[in-house]
Amino acid sequence: MTSPVTSSPIKIWRNQKNIASLLGKKGKIISWTFVRIPPAGFENQAPYPVALVKLESGKTIMVQVVDFAERNLKFGRKVETILRRTMQADISDVIPYGIKVRPL
Amino acid sequence: MNAFVTGAATTKFGELWGISPRTLAREAFDGALEDSGVSRGRIEALFVGNMLSGLLGGQEHLGALFAEELGLNGVPAFHIEGACASGGLAVHEAVSSIRSGQYKTVAVLGVEKMTDYKPEVVSTALMGAGSDEERAAGATFPGLYAILARSYMRKYGVTGKQLASVSVKNHFHASLNPNAQFRNILTIEAVMKSPLVADPLKLLECSPVSDGAAALIITGIGSGNPVEIIASEVATDSLGLAQRGSLTELKATQIASRKACEKAGLEPADIDVAEVHDCFSIAEILALEDAGFFAKGEAGNAILKGKLTLGVSKHLVVNTSGGLKGAGHPVGATGVKQIAEVVGQLRGFAGNRQVKNARVGLTQNVGGSGATAVIHILKKI
Repeated sequence: MTSPVTSSPIKIWRNQKNIASLLGKKGKIISWTFVRIPPAGFENQAPYPVALVKLESGKTIMVQVVDFAERNLKFGRKVETILRRTMQADISDVIPYGIKVRPL
Repeated sequence: MNAFVTGAATTKFGELWGISPRTLAREAFDGALEDSGVSRGRIEALFVGNMLSGLLGGQEHLGALFAEELGLNGVPAFHIEGACASGGLAVHEAVSSIRSGQYKTVAVLGVEKMTDYKPEVVSTALMGAGSDEERAAGATFPGLYAILARSYMRKYGVTGKQLASVSVKNHFHASLNPNAQFRNILTIEAVMKSPLVADPLKLLECSPVSDGAAALIITGIGSGNPVEIIASEVATDSLGLAQRGSLTELKATQIASRKACEKAGLEPADIDVAEVHDCFSIAEILALEDAGFFAKGEAGNAILKGKLTLGVSKHLVVNTSGGLKGAGHPVGATGVKQIAEVVGQLRGFAGNRQVKNARVGLTQNVGGSGATAVIHILKKI
């Protein structure tokens, strides 16, 4: 089964401008978890942290945290948004990219 | 017109690999029909609560499918979806149809078949209840509630023991329920030593993947030993957690509960039994506080002290069925099962898990991470 988020190349194309508008933003972690039992398409990444990040603009986003050490996962930790592959490509073979964050 | 439940039944919940959704539906519906004493021909409409049949089984059009399966040929039939609140929403629609005068006697069926598929597939399908952004981040439902739990722990200092005591209480109640998925007693130590699923939530703090069905007969004519549904309220919130104003409360529960109490002319203190949506340990704590039973930050300690446990509580007993954790969580069936459990308690049919002198009951059913909440209040006539 494929994720409804990425199963359509058209949808991926349409979402590009949303991704671009969120790149290079700074923010702070307001809560987080480690996903140890992943959904389909994320098996090769688990366990991975998922955080709620409040950006300087005031907008809050839910994102994966990458390039981190465990001590980076704490309330108020500063992070920045970057572009990364989100999950494994499905049958369409279009590699899905999206926003993740890394500690500053 | 007032709405009464005159029949209620639940199948066994669990990993029922040998039983099809059609068989589950028939067993629950026939049980409810027999319980009500109403003939099949008197059922004027069918409301089906289900979340995952389309995503997992490729089968939509469940209204017509189950009307045919249940021998209700020709009746209007509706499939109602609201994630894990699908069952509660189906009950709400059934009650509304009776109150409007459209129908006199209707059936509600909640049914879900989840264990035919591997965990990653079920996990992805359940994320159909979340936002696009949450799916792209690789979040899962345990993960979303873990994020709420971490925020709650920081603000109110709830302890690991308090969280674990939710599962201990609910497994104790499930041990008294022959239809429950898990009938084993748990200890706080066992819950706390179980592996992490999504930090800080552990395996034994998470409700299972389950198969099962529950059914009700709801009518405008309260005969026999009926229970009246005196309030049926629904509220919604943002799909995603990122759009919420607070990570330590579920606003939809607060709104639906306040409206339900106002319409019923009751206070939470008047409730004797409650079935709340303990999909994860933190969810029962949020439910009890947001439904108005406790001030914020106080439910965890009350559960740990046994104040909501059968045989210990002098007033309110919570999740006598075993809740989602102990009884199992076939998502579309859960909201209907909650009503069936409370109806059994109010009629005095709950056997060795009977709460003495239970007169008023409440159910709280949640969809997603709090995007939909359904509250019902029921009263013994």
